[in-house]
Amino acid sequence: MSSTNTSSDLSSEMEVDAFRRLFPLRFHERHLLESIRPDARPLGKARDTSLALGAVASAHGSALAKIGCTTMLAAIKMEVMTPTTESPDEGCIVIDFHMPPICSPIVRPGRPAEAAPVVSKQLSDTILSSGMIDLKELSLVSGKAAWMAYLDIYCLDADGALFDAALLSAVAAFSHLEIPVVSLNDDGRVVVVSEEDAGKLEKEAVNKEKRKLKLSTISFSLTCILHKNYILADPTAEEESIMETLMTVVLDSSFQLVSLYKPGGPVLACTSAIQDCVALTRQRVKELQKILNEAISDMEVD
Amino acid sequence: MFCSTILTPHALIHLHLLPSLQAPAPRKILRTGAVNSASGSAYAEFGNTKVIVSVFGPRESKKAMMYSDVGRLNCNVSYTTFATPVRGQGSDSKEFSSILHKALEGAIILDSFPKTTVDVFALVLESGGSDLPVVISCASLALADAGIMMYDLVASVSVLKIGLGLPFGLGYAFQSLEARQFWIPEVSSVVHGVSGEEESYQDGSLMITCMHLLVMRITQLTITGEWSTPKIHEAMELCLDACSKLGKIMRLCLKETASASQE
Repeated sequence: MSSTNTSSDLSSEMEVDAFRRLFPLRFHERHLLESIRPDARPLGKARDTSLALGAVASAHGSALAKIGCTTMLAAIKMEVMTPTTESPDEGCIVIDFHMPPICSPIVRPGRPAEAAPVVSKQLSDTILSSGMIDLKELSLVSGKAAWMAYLDIYCLDADGALFDAALLSAVAAFSHLEIPVVSLNDDGRVVVVSEEDAGKLEKEAVNKEKRKLKLSTISFSLTCILHKNYILADPTAEEESIMETLMTVVLDSSFQLVSLYKPGGPVLACTSAIQDCVALTRQRVKELQKILNEAISDMEVD
Repeated sequence: MFCSTILTPHALIHLHLLPSLQAPAPRKILRTGAVNSASGSAYAEFGNTKVIVSVFGPRESKKAMMYSDVGRLNCNVSYTTFATPVRGQGSDSKEFSSILHKALEGAIILDSFPKTTVDVFALVLESGGSDLPVVISCASLALADAGIMMYDLVASVSVLKIGLGLPFGLGYAFQSLEARQFWIPEVSSVVHGVSGEEESYQDGSLMITCMHLLVMRITQLTITGEWSTPKIHEAMELCLDACSKLGKIMRLCLKETASASQE
């Protein structure tokens, strides 16, 4: 106890910023005692979130998501491919998460961030296994042609809760996605029809009806920090670096659990902590559904 | 903290040269403070060209580096995979990185941060033509935002030449379009559509990077293709004029940020 007392004595003499840098853990724990966080949030509250659809004109679908300072740009490009013989009626989705050197002082060019492949794998597991997209929807001509959707997510500013922001931008990009019109040419090959040519088309477009991808369910996630008995929702990069136990819960639109990810850490989660995290995620999913719906209706007004 | 300056139509230079091209001006945005975790950053949007530049440092140089009593500048330009119409690899552009380095190093007071390195990282979110001048101008704004000492802001502008250097005979076809010989990609990008597509039809290009606080000082000048001397003069004048206008807009953007943060 004596060491805590010394530090609290120190803290009354020291500048707040200096105390924050020298004793980051104590700085945060003093806040937690008052059930508040350094950025004036209550423990269970996520940061302000905004979403803009259609941020990249050169892609078929794109979205920019911002959770606090964490910024993600997701864009989808569609290409025609030949489906594999095992699944002739299915398209394919390739998901890649990038952390370019602009996003954080830790990342240097030529040395990719450790977190990037981890988030990349988590994202493709979540999106492909949640049944959000029926790969059969991406088929054009059975056994001959199908869509290959390249989803690339760029982290523009890394300030904690990277997976949450990346997943939000990814689902938003899918709901913005507009599949290009294609038709079969004389050789039986699939060609993309430009917008000007669409009127004077000799052959009927293959996918006239299927310009939008049907999303059967939409998953959202919330990352929480577990520290002692506290649960902190939507951590910043600073909080993540000080308190190391993270838990990410992914729920779909009907609040069914899609994935729960707790990569080790010094704190062992008990059942009640897991239930609390799921309850917080449930609240968050409602918020995010509202934000996504508003972004989509804003887009339609324009 | 955010300040956004949307360039006014007055910033369009020599529009009278392009009577048939007075389409609505493309959107232009310059603002600082786009990336919170960087020491300084800027976002630039000229037409479809969208660029983010982050500046980190001055921070410790790599261990392998020799002692240096002047600061080091490290530049990197990369593209997103969806920047170009055909999906690319999102690779680093070594050439652009080195040009950016050369364009900036003359403007930065390297003596002010000995033994350390300043990192300038640019990411082209979308390539809509004239990427390099936009990257350079945006980088100088980000350096100013990071508080790195500079002699002056650098502004960069390029023009393309279309129509000269054609096989004889064809030149006539272009005569009526003579005014179009300079598609002034205003502050380089795109006055009315010098997009990436038009860039592929170019016969020559000229890019100027300069500081213009008291006198015009050019930090970099690149000319490619075949040019006649009078055409070079004409192009240089257009560029210098556009540079000084762009410089004013960049200053305005910084002033707005500063006054917003004081409030």
